[in-house]
Amino acid sequence: MEPESLEPVGDFADFERELQAALARRPAPPDLKRKIVGRLWQQAGRSHRRMVWMERLAASLILAAVASGAAFWHHEVEKRRGEEAKQQVFTALRIANHALEQMNAQLAEHNRDAQ
Amino acid sequence: MAGDWQPDFEQLIDEHQSMVFSIALRMTGDRGLAEEIAQDVFLELDRHLSKIESPLHALLWLRRVAMSRSADALRRRRARGIEQWVEIDETHGAKAEERPSPLADRVERLLATVPESQRVALILRYQEDLTPEEIAATLGAPLATVKSHLQRGLKLLRAKAAIHLKEYVRGA
Repeated sequence: MEPESLEPVGDFADFERELQAALARRPAPPDLKRKIVGRLWQQAGRSHRRMVWMERLAASLILAAVASGAAFWHHEVEKRRGEEAKQQVFTALRIANHALEQMNAQLAEHNRDAQ
Repeated sequence: MAGDWQPDFEQLIDEHQSMVFSIALRMTGDRGLAEEIAQDVFLELDRHLSKIESPLHALLWLRRVAMSRSADALRRRRARGIEQWVEIDETHGAKAEERPSPLADRVERLLATVPESQRVALILRYQEDLTPEEIAATLGAPLATVKSHLQRGLKLLRAKAAIHLKEYVRGA
């Protein structure tokens, strides 16, 4: 007996069977599949956009790191060159100082001899 | 060969959307929410598609996840203080051919008043035509508990039907 045509019947002696008929699966809404696939595409689109942003961010970070490294390296080279130049100046000054001291001593000795 | 089987997502939707939607509808009593749950279940299936090994595995997975997501939705709704079947025209938005018969509609409404654990067992038994053993396996519950839920749920539903569905009973 179909539930739709259920006329007043017994006393629910066949309750389980009637329940089974009443609880038959319902058809899903006709646009359910379209909505699921639509959401799937939306998620895929979001995921793609997120991926593009992640790639851009990674590229920016790499660029920033390379630029910072180059700037640091350049700074270090300049610093080292500056140190070397400073040492050369000090060496030149020490030599000049030594020469002047020698010259001064010779002059002093010459003055003593002249007196 | 189960190993050779390649899941076709759209085909799985075609095959199982009615089951997933019906489970969610009878668990929640809300057509809109049931549709939302069904969408979520299939999107979750898409994420797990590589782990699905056979058509039977897909069926069991969808049935279990549909039950679980429906129960989650009910819990969230209870937490927000929304009662089941309140101000819901269940057939709202449904086309004429999708609407249930008056008896089926009223049986569903009575089913919604049965405690959740018993309702789950009744849906799996009478909608999905599962044996108590299969229900126990699906829910991961002891067989004795499932049998108890089925007996109590059926008894309760029968008592409610005797009161609320008198016109379907001879002599009422």
